[in-house]
Amino acid sequence: MLEVILYFIQQLINGITIGSTYALIAIGYTMVYGIIGMINFAHGEVYMIGTYVAFMAISGMAMLGIEFLPLIFLVALLSSMLVSSSFGWAIERIAYRPLRGGNRLIPLISAIGMSIFLQNYVRLGQGSRDIAMSSQISGGWSFGPEDGFQASLSYIQVLIFIVTIISMTVLTLFISRSRMGRACRAVAQDLKMANLLGIDTNRVIASTFVIGAALAAVAGTLLGMYYGVVNAFVGFIAGLKAFTAAVLGGIGSIPGAMLGGIILGVTESMTAAYFSTEYKDVVSFALLVLILLFKPTGILGKPEVEKI
Amino acid sequence: MKKQIARKVLGVGASILLMGGLNLANAETIKIAIAGPQSGDVAQYGDMQVIGAEMAVEQINAAGGVNGDKLEAIRYDDACEPKQAVAVANKIVNDGVKFVVGHLCSSSTQPASDVYEDEGIITITPASTNPDITERGYQMIFRTIGLDSHQGPTAGKFIATVVKPKRVAVIHDKQQYGEGIATAVKKTLEEKNVNVVLFEGVNKGDKDFSPLIAKLQKENVDFVYYGGYHPELGQILRQASEKGLNIKFMGPEGVGNKDISQIAGKASEGLYVTLPPAFDQRPENKTLVDAFKAKSQDASGAFVMTSYAAVQVIADSIKGVGSTDTDAIQAYLRSHSFKTPMGEIAFDEKGDLKGFDFEIYTWHADGSKTVVK
Amino acid sequence: MRKNLPFALFTAVITLVLSLPILGLKLTHEGTKLVLEGATQSTYVYIFLAAAAVFLSQLFREQLNAAKAAVKPKGNILAKLMPPEEKRDMAGKIFFVVLLIAAVLIPFNTGRIWSDIATLALIYVILGLGLNIVVGLAGLLDLGYVAFYAVGAYSYALLSQYFGLSFWVCLPIGALLAATFGFLLGFPVLRLRGDYLAIVTLGFGEIIRILLNNLTSLTGGPNGIGGIPKPTIPMLQFDPEFSIVNLEFSRRAAEGNVAFHEFFGVPYDSSLKVVVLYLIALVLALVTIVIVRRLIRMPVGRAWEALREDEIACRSLGLNRTAIKLSAFTIGAAFAGFAGSLYGARQGHISPESFIFFESVIILAIVVLGGMGSQIGVMVAAVLVVLLQELSREFDEYRLLAFGMVMVLMMIWCPQGLIPMKRPHLQLKQE
Repeated sequence: MLEVILYFIQQLINGITIGSTYALIAIGYTMVYGIIGMINFAHGEVYMIGTYVAFMAISGMAMLGIEFLPLIFLVALLSSMLVSSSFGWAIERIAYRPLRGGNRLIPLISAIGMSIFLQNYVRLGQGSRDIAMSSQISGGWSFGPEDGFQASLSYIQVLIFIVTIISMTVLTLFISRSRMGRACRAVAQDLKMANLLGIDTNRVIASTFVIGAALAAVAGTLLGMYYGVVNAFVGFIAGLKAFTAAVLGGIGSIPGAMLGGIILGVTESMTAAYFSTEYKDVVSFALLVLILLFKPTGILGKPEVEKI
Repeated sequence: MKKQIARKVLGVGASILLMGGLNLANAETIKIAIAGPQSGDVAQYGDMQVIGAEMAVEQINAAGGVNGDKLEAIRYDDACEPKQAVAVANKIVNDGVKFVVGHLCSSSTQPASDVYEDEGIITITPASTNPDITERGYQMIFRTIGLDSHQGPTAGKFIATVVKPKRVAVIHDKQQYGEGIATAVKKTLEEKNVNVVLFEGVNKGDKDFSPLIAKLQKENVDFVYYGGYHPELGQILRQASEKGLNIKFMGPEGVGNKDISQIAGKASEGLYVTLPPAFDQRPENKTLVDAFKAKSQDASGAFVMTSYAAVQVIADSIKGVGSTDTDAIQAYLRSHSFKTPMGEIAFDEKGDLKGFDFEIYTWHADGSKTVVK
Repeated sequence: MRKNLPFALFTAVITLVLSLPILGLKLTHEGTKLVLEGATQSTYVYIFLAAAAVFLSQLFREQLNAAKAAVKPKGNILAKLMPPEEKRDMAGKIFFVVLLIAAVLIPFNTGRIWSDIATLALIYVILGLGLNIVVGLAGLLDLGYVAFYAVGAYSYALLSQYFGLSFWVCLPIGALLAATFGFLLGFPVLRLRGDYLAIVTLGFGEIIRILLNNLTSLTGGPNGIGGIPKPTIPMLQFDPEFSIVNLEFSRRAAEGNVAFHEFFGVPYDSSLKVVVLYLIALVLALVTIVIVRRLIRMPVGRAWEALREDEIACRSLGLNRTAIKLSAFTIGAAFAGFAGSLYGARQGHISPESFIFFESVIILAIVVLGGMGSQIGVMVAAVLVVLLQELSREFDEYRLLAFGMVMVLMMIWCPQGLIPMKRPHLQLKQE
């Protein structure tokens, strides 16, 4: 009996960890969507670039002989946020701004083009082989009988969870309290009106992309340290999952992204645990379809008002 | 301005014509197509094929060619995509090439070989290990590499007789290659009454395997066979050791890549791998390996020597037959044996190598390996 | 110029940040340790040159724009090349006939590679036209179109493998099956709008692919299905008895069929098989073009567009929106099934990896590049995309980089597509 419970707890922990990482990437999608109503398809690539830069920072510091872990983590985080935000800014500038105001499919296609371009840009610079790094933070706690099944919780899993919560809180506060956040909400409600009221909408939209990209870099750094592997193509699957999570939770809603991410992560790990790993994507997509059937705008999404 | 453009266009047109003319002038060469991925995410394996085959062409030409004719290697890129493989195959037919070394991915070799068989083009794949390829009664397809269906039983026998585990899990990556081997291993294990408690697929490209590892722990598995490639197994090894699951793993040659030690670190120590013999380590191939080194190429790639051997076998059989009549050559290939860097090789009726054996190695954390006796 | 300076500096710095880490540093393994390596000196020179170029172009932005405006003709370049509005209909017909003659002549002039590539292009023409109904006309963003393509391909492969049915029997069945899938998917998701619909269709596409991969006993799993026969052509036979035989174009005909070269007593020509497949593809593409052309002019076609433009207005006019959306989804899917069967016949061997999400993206790109809703545009774009893939083979590793860049640039330069859609309309002649 104990083993059954421990096994369930273990899978729950695994699911929440995966889910938190989906949530971190999903915020970028949700913010951009909430403000200009467009899907940023190149967001997964920004996450991938974040991981590369974090790896560069970590290995660079190892070569310099720095071993103080919090410093390494901080430098890796900041440098990957810097580079990723620049990419976020450039993506907005090149693939979105010239196309604003037209048919909504057009920026989608240009973003897909951007995503293909970025994948191959990184592949040209860094090669197509997997880049691996040894784990920086190891160890953890375990519970359960010595000789039986033990549930374990590693430090890095806890770190991922904590950082996700902190990022979400800071972001929510930023949106609800700061001047920029207020401008963001105004633009999200009505772009033209906000413009008329003297809000620099171009700046608001650009900063949305930058903030989203910075959060993707946080996810990239954490996940890079957790899995220890990156290649130029990891962004695509991660982006797809995060996008699903964002829609599941209700795209445009920040708590929704968190909730969607965790539901998706737990569903995946439970399917793998009690059914079969090869069907986990089928089950999570089926769940998505089901939820959208009953709540067409996602779990926490605001129902669309039909304006006549 | 316009005139300049017109002149440029003319210039390009003229040079294309010239190149065409040059091709005609060189009609005496025997063309060999090297078909495989030269772009895309498996391009690194395509490169192995190219350097092996081009080295063979170069050395054979340096030694006087074949019956006085020079060989000419032409690269064709299929990006490992089935639909492009068919386009490439048709291009090869159109270019009048009679010999193909390729393709690399089994899923490309299969549709392309339909075209080659029909056109009477000799195809030797140095890399496709899927058994189905030579199961269709085709005359023109050969391979200088082993089969998944041989590798599986070799691994299965080793597990059953040497390791003797109590509860085995067989995991694969749901790809043609990985699932094929895993199925063969499972079959052998069950025949030998080894208890296989878990047979499951994972998704290629996945990074998180913690649910799977918890499942292995719950099932009290004490040995895992993984059919697939190194990126996924590397992650599984790494995460398993972090979760305190210290059991033995084993995989096919797709995991026997130095990268696995980088991904898994210490956790890759003691992994069992079935590999084709390391031809570049053999003393009799030293001069050849040095020739690769002189061009700063890596001879240790899994498909370098097999591609070299493929070209050599084609050249030898053209010499043996005395013409490029492919029907005579396929008969010659089936009835003779050839001396290559892979040793003395011969083909059976289906076009597979006779007596190609995989060896079992123990992998080490520094990326080296030792043969298990 | 002075006021551009801060921004120009900023963009130059950003360019450095974007390129220095990715291109200027390289992560490599040394033993089992990860180390950083610098790139070659010329790489750094190029990076700084690029940054300088960005700096200058931003600094002299106004001058550059003025120069560009002076050179660039106003309006869509392709539209300029087109004949004037009132003659367009006639010119279009002539153009079409010329194109058709050229298309028929392709195999006889250029041999098998171009016939084969043209077959592939025609498959994409059919796919593009089908998706054009869903995305371009009805305005429903479908990111899982490849699922229906897969249904068509697998239904031909499976039916011919298990029941020995011929291509001509499987073709309508494949289209019908794909349509059924489209109907079944369309039913529940019609409540969704825009991007929600996009993600659900994407999920559906992935579900189909994973199922094809997992149901090994039925579909062969990742191995796929091989030995799919090429289409045969039924022919009246008078000797020895009056009957219908199926002509095959391979060297040795299967049981019950007769090989073409034996039937007519001509020497065997292997490229004939490719040419015949191309001609069949051409006929199917023509059929598709004609059907879609008629559909657009029918009430249902008008309803699709009305729905795309304004759903609420549409409903208030008493149009049944469920029926309209469903019809778009179903008919679009049917054409994908068509194309799928053809693809199976061309390929001879199919596996799930031919039906990945990226394939949906390519088809969608064809529709958008061509100009949403525009039939000619979609056809041109389909041919261009296939040609681009073939021609860029020479560029090796830069190929996808260029592909991505072209996609972005195309959207910036002509967001309406190559040949924007024009509604057929009558114009009052003005004296």
